[in-house]
Amino acid sequence: MSDQPRVSQAQLAAELRAFIDPDYVITDNETMKPYECDGMSMYCEMPLLVVLPETVAQVQQVMQVCHRYQVPVVARGAGTGLSAGAMPHADGVVLSLAKFNRILEIDPLARTARLQPGVRNQAISEAAAQYGLYYGPDPSSQIACTIGGNVAENSGGVHCLKYGLTVHNVLSVELITVEGERVTLGSDGLDVCGMDLLALATGSEGLLGIVTEVQVRLLPVPERARVVLAGFDSVQKAGDAVGGIIAHGIIPGGLEMMDSHAIIAADDFAGAGYPREAKALLLCEVDGTEEEVEEHIEQAETLFRELGATSVRTSRSEQERALLWKGRKSAFPAVGRISPDYYCMDGTIPRSQLAFVLTEMERLSQEYDLRVANVFHAGDGNLHPLILFDANVPGEFERTEAFGSRILQLCVEVGGCITGEHGVGVEKIRQMAIQFNDLELAQFHAVKAAFDPLGILNPGKGVPTLRFCQEYRSLEHKCQQHAVEADHD
Amino acid sequence: MQTNLVAEFANTAEGQEAESILRACVHCGFCTATCPTYQELNDERDGPRGRIYLMKQFLEGGEVTEKTQQHLDRCLTCRSCETTCPSGVEYGRLVDISRGLLEERLERPTRDRLLRQALARVLPNRRLFGVLLRMGQWFRPLLPGALRAKVPPRQEAKPWPAASHSRVVLALAGCVQPSATPGTNASAARVLDRLGITMVEAPEAGCCGAVNYHLSNHDAGLDAMRRNIDAWWPAIEAGAEALIMTASGCGAMVQDYGHLLKDDPVYANKARKVSELTIDLGAYLLQQDLEPLTVRQSSGKVAFHCPCTLQHAMKQNGTVEQVLRRVGIDLAETTDKHLCCGSAGTYSITQPELSQKLLDNKLKALTIDQPAVIATANVGCQMHLGSKAEVPVSHWIELLDR
Amino acid sequence: MTDRSEQLLEQVLAAKAAGQPLRIVGGNSKAFLGRQADAESQDLNVGEHRGIVEYNPVELVLTARAGTPLREIEAALAEHGQALHFEPPHFGDSDTLGGTLAANLSGPARPWSGSVRDQVLGIRLINGNGEHLRFGGQVMKNVAGYDVSRLQAGALGTLGVMTEISLKVMPRPAASLTLVREMSAQQAIQQMNARAAEPKPLTAACWQGGRMYLRLAGAQSAVEATAAKWGGEVLDQADGFWRSLQDQQLDYFKGEAPLWRFSVRANAALAPLPGAWLLDWAGAQRWYRGDAEQPQLEQLAREAGGQVSLFRGGDRSGEVMHHQPQALAGLQTRMKQAFDPHGLFNPGRLYSWL
Repeated sequence: MSDQPRVSQAQLAAELRAFIDPDYVITDNETMKPYECDGMSMYCEMPLLVVLPETVAQVQQVMQVCHRYQVPVVARGAGTGLSAGAMPHADGVVLSLAKFNRILEIDPLARTARLQPGVRNQAISEAAAQYGLYYGPDPSSQIACTIGGNVAENSGGVHCLKYGLTVHNVLSVELITVEGERVTLGSDGLDVCGMDLLALATGSEGLLGIVTEVQVRLLPVPERARVVLAGFDSVQKAGDAVGGIIAHGIIPGGLEMMDSHAIIAADDFAGAGYPREAKALLLCEVDGTEEEVEEHIEQAETLFRELGATSVRTSRSEQERALLWKGRKSAFPAVGRISPDYYCMDGTIPRSQLAFVLTEMERLSQEYDLRVANVFHAGDGNLHPLILFDANVPGEFERTEAFGSRILQLCVEVGGCITGEHGVGVEKIRQMAIQFNDLELAQFHAVKAAFDPLGILNPGKGVPTLRFCQEYRSLEHKCQQHAVEADHD
Repeated sequence: MQTNLVAEFANTAEGQEAESILRACVHCGFCTATCPTYQELNDERDGPRGRIYLMKQFLEGGEVTEKTQQHLDRCLTCRSCETTCPSGVEYGRLVDISRGLLEERLERPTRDRLLRQALARVLPNRRLFGVLLRMGQWFRPLLPGALRAKVPPRQEAKPWPAASHSRVVLALAGCVQPSATPGTNASAARVLDRLGITMVEAPEAGCCGAVNYHLSNHDAGLDAMRRNIDAWWPAIEAGAEALIMTASGCGAMVQDYGHLLKDDPVYANKARKVSELTIDLGAYLLQQDLEPLTVRQSSGKVAFHCPCTLQHAMKQNGTVEQVLRRVGIDLAETTDKHLCCGSAGTYSITQPELSQKLLDNKLKALTIDQPAVIATANVGCQMHLGSKAEVPVSHWIELLDR
Repeated sequence: MTDRSEQLLEQVLAAKAAGQPLRIVGGNSKAFLGRQADAESQDLNVGEHRGIVEYNPVELVLTARAGTPLREIEAALAEHGQALHFEPPHFGDSDTLGGTLAANLSGPARPWSGSVRDQVLGIRLINGNGEHLRFGGQVMKNVAGYDVSRLQAGALGTLGVMTEISLKVMPRPAASLTLVREMSAQQAIQQMNARAAEPKPLTAACWQGGRMYLRLAGAQSAVEATAAKWGGEVLDQADGFWRSLQDQQLDYFKGEAPLWRFSVRANAALAPLPGAWLLDWAGAQRWYRGDAEQPQLEQLAREAGGQVSLFRGGDRSGEVMHHQPQALAGLQTRMKQAFDPHGLFNPGRLYSWL
């Protein structure tokens, strides 16, 4: 990508205003402010301009203009990403898909929904409810995050262990290429001919194209769903209980864990009645037909007691179940009640390593002198340690970053990865060198080049330059003598 | 989030309150999902998180112009975002503070200034508003469509109950309600009468102060509050059980008297007491035995519109519905309960286009189950909904006043 | 039992040096898939690179070398009451894990359990530059970098040689039962989808020869309750039926006539074509045998929201896969370039231009 933009803000704005309502081409720094970061507010950058198109043709035209002048483009849904993937580029355009918020069609018989990218995740299930259907992947940010952002991040959620990630629930995606062409990946059918570009695009963090339409598959709302709430007096016991449930052949609809910090903050907001004294809490949802839920709930309750739960409680009504989940899903922002800022990690580890990693994190928390609240998808090993800090205290964020990096390194060491659902973005770009060697990164760059030869789509995110990685590895080596070399066979 | 207020604001009570609110926000974006203006415009500048950033920028000394003011003006102060925010961000307070401070900084265009001045003069003035309303009602057929829709049909209030009971509650007459919807308080009094409770109004009490306060005329608003406290005080001292709010917009304001006047050495305590006594009519009724109010006949489904002020400010989401169900009223299904009807005080006049869109959306959401009538708990919402609804719109208490 | 990745890598490097196209062969059970291979290609036999590398039942993860036969994997899983959810077809005993992913072949449970691609967690790949790379991992969720692992699905080996594959596995259902009803194909489409929209333990649905087959699997109580509610004749030896459908052993699949595979919207109306249909995946996968030609079939597939390919038989010298719009073909071409710049792997196998 060229080092200098080949067009001025005024010129670019004029070209964009030729086909977009001038009100939705934002050029003044004053009101561009809300777009300077996503859910990861510590990483900020003011863009050249922000544009809010309303039609696919306008998106195509934006891409054509930006491609012509080699202006970087950062796509944005609801800006709830936790890896600064939607953070603007200083010389680039923020392309907001928020105005694309219509559910174009729901086919109840085929169990599919055709969506514009700005449709909120939760809105899909709300709209499908009248047909007895719902959309499976439910990020905790589902109240606000968009399906376009979900596709870009391959978002997961509470129910992903049983119902899959975004990639498992998307049938097709309409992608606007960097040159402004419209391409459909996937189809109404379940499979397409040839290589799976749909899977490649899902999770590509806006680096390969702009999603302008998504067709998802919907699931029948289970006849019954109940949540077993199990409190433990240690995170280790809770961690072990996770494996225990699955070892018994029970695949929960959701299996989530919270530690004491999270329990308190979430309960303050939701008033769900969590056992506030517990050190760790497991929420295990069992769904299915009435018959099988009865069966499995009984088994789960028994298992939890056997595995050391200090309290076991099962939801008695749909309202109670919803309230229990409300607390969990709001736990991230609820920690705003107990700390001004948080830094969310997203590593995935084998479930068998849960106890070990949680223990190790407790140790590191003391080492770095930063509190950690744990709220995560225990069932699929996707950790979300929230490092609590105060941005107004000088140096505290830097220490937080270091702590976070150490955590991700630990994840890779135990056979996991650096990100399970939030993406790499800017936040974890340095940790990519921990998980991949240079050849693998080079292959990623080749994939990127196939879609975006000029590198204008969300540059500087997701996949680091090789030089950047080498330097980071050197730095890391100096800091962490005991870093484990990734397997480069 | 990280904040860095300029000295000018950092050293004031309002500034410090604002900073405290800002610090609670972790930029998660949940609030945008339930913000009516963001859901309509899809522009982050017109959503709570975006406005928080704009206000943060203002308080941190950044340049702000009418552009920022426009986005803050578009906020309905419905406080749906507050209900949604897991981190406890008190958005309503933040926007009141910021708007007030901004109003002192920026001069508005003449037309806007004139309009707001006119609203501030007319709306709180019960008599003046009444006269103008009657004229509008009389000339209704000759009015252009848009203006005609804003004038509610002339309403005849049922007789106030004659009987007097030992149990007494205070009620706010308000500024607009007596002439626009005189039937509301009358029905409330009659219903309470059937429960052996006497409802009285303090004649000297007027506007709750919301009109001026939310038009960023904070001083005038606070004066109105003091006036009301003075008017109510005798009855409070005399033992009124509660200060019943039949209009949630006013209720939300009065409930905040304690907070807003906390730094007034003269009125702080009284204000706190008033706020403590303030309760929405629905919440008060839920505490009573509702058997005598059982509705005998079904006149079709009722779609209840819970005003933003009742949901998010007074935090009585679901309360009125419980009362209605308990007395046997068949409630119609509705959707998107959290979305504002677009009335929002003076919003329907200062932001007519957006207000109408919100009204359309709300009416659609309220009528999916073909209700025979729409009921609500706030005079502003009642008038606004009534201007376009194809079924009658009434205050919910009127449904219990058989 | 043997790791032959070094040898495979050497062969690729040699082919790269010589500009020699390679035909990746697992067990060669799906040789009939894709276009006729390049006559000049040399075989790269992955079938001997076999063996289960790692399997932890509690983790629900299994990692094996690409040449490992499916039956070996399935046997190992069965010992722990687990299975490959996607029910890959066996075209013989030598079907490999690699071939299955490369061909993206899934069985009757596809709509409910996902495809082979959906169960992939990670791979090791030798690309066209002769580099042995690792993508994905052994954990359920991993969005670091581009999803190169799942990209391989359906690529028929055109993007590189997979040497190792990690899969998510699932517990085998406790009970299973198959209901049969006689009805027309169009009725079955309606019925299968209506049933699929109900919150019941449906795990397979097909129509063939005037009969609709529904498979229920899961908790004994749920299966029985649903069967009682839905009604229909219970099929004996149902496992055999589904196995035969899965492995394309039913009589329908016999013969030399071209076999067309539609992947379309489940509830799309049945095209009024003369010939024989078999509907699987509740109508989302449709097999067709008849005299219709590709342009017509592609048009019909497009109208039904999907694609059609010549799965077996017929003229395999032309395109056998659904024709792609130009922009998409361009992307695929550049993707091939990204992984295999020298065009070593299975040239022309997927499309003539790939």
